[in-house]
Amino acid sequence: MKGPSSTPSDVPYEDLKKERDAFVQQFFRKGAQLTEELLRENERLRERIDELTQEAQVLRHHLASDNAMRELLGKIESLEKEKRELLSRTSASQAASDQYSERYSEVEGELAHLANLHIATSELVRGRSVRQVLRILKELLAQLLGAGAFAVYHVTPDGSELVALTSEGLPASSVARLIVAESAVGRAFLRGEIKQESVGDTSKGTLATPSAVIPLDLDGTRIGAIAIFATLPQKTEWVPADTELFRVLSQHAAAALVHAKLYSDARGALPGLSAYVDQQD
Amino acid sequence: MAEYTCLIVEDSPMMRQLLVFALARVKNLRVTEADDGVDGLRKLATAKYDVIITDINMPIMDGLKLVKRVRSDPVHKDTPIIIITTEGSQEDRQRALQLGANAYITKPIQAPQVIAKVRELLKIDGNG
Repeated sequence: MKGPSSTPSDVPYEDLKKERDAFVQQFFRKGAQLTEELLRENERLRERIDELTQEAQVLRHHLASDNAMRELLGKIESLEKEKRELLSRTSASQAASDQYSERYSEVEGELAHLANLHIATSELVRGRSVRQVLRILKELLAQLLGAGAFAVYHVTPDGSELVALTSEGLPASSVARLIVAESAVGRAFLRGEIKQESVGDTSKGTLATPSAVIPLDLDGTRIGAIAIFATLPQKTEWVPADTELFRVLSQHAAAALVHAKLYSDARGALPGLSAYVDQQD
Repeated sequence: MAEYTCLIVEDSPMMRQLLVFALARVKNLRVTEADDGVDGLRKLATAKYDVIITDINMPIMDGLKLVKRVRSDPVHKDTPIIIITTEGSQEDRQRALQLGANAYITKPIQAPQVIAKVRELLKIDGNG
């Protein structure tokens, strides 16, 4: 058996070996270098993947946030709309409630007014004597009309003077007799119309400028007048309900006074059936 | 539904009528009338009332004496009392409030004012 060195054409063994070793070493070095490069590249790519994954997560998160934001904005808008509707409904309910309360107060006022008219008429017919009727009149004037200074007058037979049957709030002597032609009360009595202060403060009226004058009328005949010179300090104006009450007093007070006088003159004797029979219209 | 009772002590029939008409608009309120303080005490001795409305100026027994007597009565010592006064009688009003009256109404009486005071003292809400 021949050794490798026995071939004369061959490169000497040692040189070949060196060359081979150098190649192998270079090969391995290159390989290692390449491997290292590949590893580095791999590492770089992994990092990049991580970065991209994180970016993707961030983007996904942003997207989710945007969606959530869009949903929230939508929800806010819907709630705002609902709020507007509720506010609108509340305003409508409040307006209806205010209207109801206002109407309720009006009705209460109307009922109070009707009650006053009812009381005025029922009280006037309750009087059985002139004194009682005058007392009732005084109470009506003070309690229902808030009159502070007033007098109830009857005209003298010649029609020239008004004589006070009762008075309140002013010295009796100052209101006792009024000349019809020379006094504000007398002139209103002559006109036969209710006179009432419509501009000034009714509590500031005087003898010369009474706040209201109510002629007392019985079937077209004027028998006297009620003069309200001034109202109580807390009442400063006449309201429509007072005007209604003036009318009631104008129509019923005269009848009440005359009836009470006739009844007391008859000493309470009631007419029998014969007094009514054949008296119908 | 709870029923309330009110005693009106007032010598003037017209004023009583006014008050009765006004209080008719308070739901479930039963009203009893008394002519003066003595009549009022008589009625208070036989029944329990939830609110008392009394005039100050009355014959036989005035409103101030009535307030004093009511406040010394164990049954009615806490019953709300509304007094009726005239605008000029601040002294009477003060005296009545010192004696234990809870509120006052000034003449001429306004029905809505009476209703509001009674509702307030009976703690009745709204339009009841």
